[in-house]
Amino acid sequence: MREEIAAESIALPLRSASPNGAAAAPGAGRTTRLAARLRSALPPAVAFLVVIGGWELFCRLAGMKPYLLPKPSDIVAAASANASNLWVSVYTTMSEAVLGFLLSVLLGVGLAIALASSKLVERSIYPYAIVMQTIPIVAIAPIIVIWFGAGMNAIVIIAFLIGFFPMLSNTLIGLNSTDHNMKNLFHLYNASPLQTMFRLRLPAALPFIVAGLKISCTLAVIGAIVGEYIAGIGGGKGGLGYAITVAAARLQTAYLFACGLAASLLGIAFFLLVSRLSKWLLSSWHESELNSSEG
Amino acid sequence: MEAMASTKEWVRMDSVSKVYPNGTTALQEVDLSVREGEFLCFVGPSGCGKSTVFKLITGLSGATGGTLEVMGTSPQQARKQSDTAFVFQDHTLLPWSSVVDNVSLPLALRGMSRKQRREEAEQALELVGLKDYVKAMPRQLSGGMKMRVSIARALVSKPKLLLMDEPFGALDEITRQTLQLELLDIWSRNKEMTVLFVTHNVFEAVFLSTRVVVMTPRPGKVAATIDVPVPFPRDASFRTTPRFGELVRSVSEALKH
Repeated sequence: MREEIAAESIALPLRSASPNGAAAAPGAGRTTRLAARLRSALPPAVAFLVVIGGWELFCRLAGMKPYLLPKPSDIVAAASANASNLWVSVYTTMSEAVLGFLLSVLLGVGLAIALASSKLVERSIYPYAIVMQTIPIVAIAPIIVIWFGAGMNAIVIIAFLIGFFPMLSNTLIGLNSTDHNMKNLFHLYNASPLQTMFRLRLPAALPFIVAGLKISCTLAVIGAIVGEYIAGIGGGKGGLGYAITVAAARLQTAYLFACGLAASLLGIAFFLLVSRLSKWLLSSWHESELNSSEG
Repeated sequence: MEAMASTKEWVRMDSVSKVYPNGTTALQEVDLSVREGEFLCFVGPSGCGKSTVFKLITGLSGATGGTLEVMGTSPQQARKQSDTAFVFQDHTLLPWSSVVDNVSLPLALRGMSRKQRREEAEQALELVGLKDYVKAMPRQLSGGMKMRVSIARALVSKPKLLLMDEPFGALDEITRQTLQLELLDIWSRNKEMTVLFVTHNVFEAVFLSTRVVVMTPRPGKVAATIDVPVPFPRDASFRTTPRFGELVRSVSEALKH
């Protein structure tokens, strides 16, 4: 496919691109790629417009009460009317999620390295790690609030706890699935356990670590919002979770929708960022990211 | 053939046995003596214990009977002196490291400075004809080239004893023959290097070696050792000589016992 396009662009260097990219002829050189992209983006865009339009139309025709189902235009209006509050909420939730995520990565990978370094330590601690993983964080969140007080600290810790175990178990599986021949090679060349860990096992575990990152980053956003439900404080500095509880209590359904939308966008942005990072980490060598980086 | 006259005994096995905990006898009373400068091939079908011999000599596993000395000491001790190097059937290159970093790995593990090990690695890569691929990543190389890098990694520490476990087993016949010639070329430039080469290919064993150790399975033991008194340098035409045919036939005969 790519070769065909390249060949065509060489064969037809003088043909200029038509102004509307989507309707460009199949052989229009550089713009072909753009046109292809637009063509693939067109159906979902049309579907989006149809659904939003249908929603707006339905609410207007059926005379829906805005506190039950607000119109898309109500949601946009509510978001822009409260733009500065919404931005503060997004920013707060984002910082809590990022802090919690970073903590879960650091401690998850760190503990996994400690566990993988000694079979004895792993055997004695890992079963408890699994048991702790099964504890619903929501159930112990009030305890965390008692220990660390309502607000940022407790929320960050809840976000951390929820992302910690996926990081730990993924990294540990990665560290323990090093290729046997490679381990023999390091052993034969008299590598120390530290050398084997940092030159072989940790880089070999990177695909697993990256899978953990992708799970933990979405969980951290969820953890931050759940944390705010329980430990959120107002005073103009509450996060999305706090804003959502307040909006729900006041029956500001349109703003509630706006908050939900902002939370999803935050989650998506965070996930895309981490995906980007993982692509960059693995692009030079690992199969799972090779096609995309060469494409 | 002056190397053959050397009295240094690099490997000595006296009635060495290996019985696995489940009761299978992998090796039964193997006697063997390898002198400096030999190119010794172990040939036999799968299960004949040739890879077990390899593991015993590298010290990856221990013998359950008899005595085994490598370079006058225990296999583990010999390995610590860093005079031995290894090539496996699998190229075992680190996929995240460039060719030059892969080749210099044994030196890096020993704590050699970056600049010095880079120079050594480039020399080793020149030996295998891959000087232009210093910065390449393993995934960009063909199977044959990966094996060349793997060989360069073994040569980078200038070993006295080179242990190769079916290194060309996964390559196609044409690449395999090219690499055989290259390996002989490298070895003939440094006759002090002793090579122990495990293979299941009779032609490969006769073509490469100064001596073929024929092994038979159940239980694994040495059926015969056959000298290959054909002078070096050998080139591809050796494969078509009547002498080659005779030697292949006698190795094949020994395998039937």
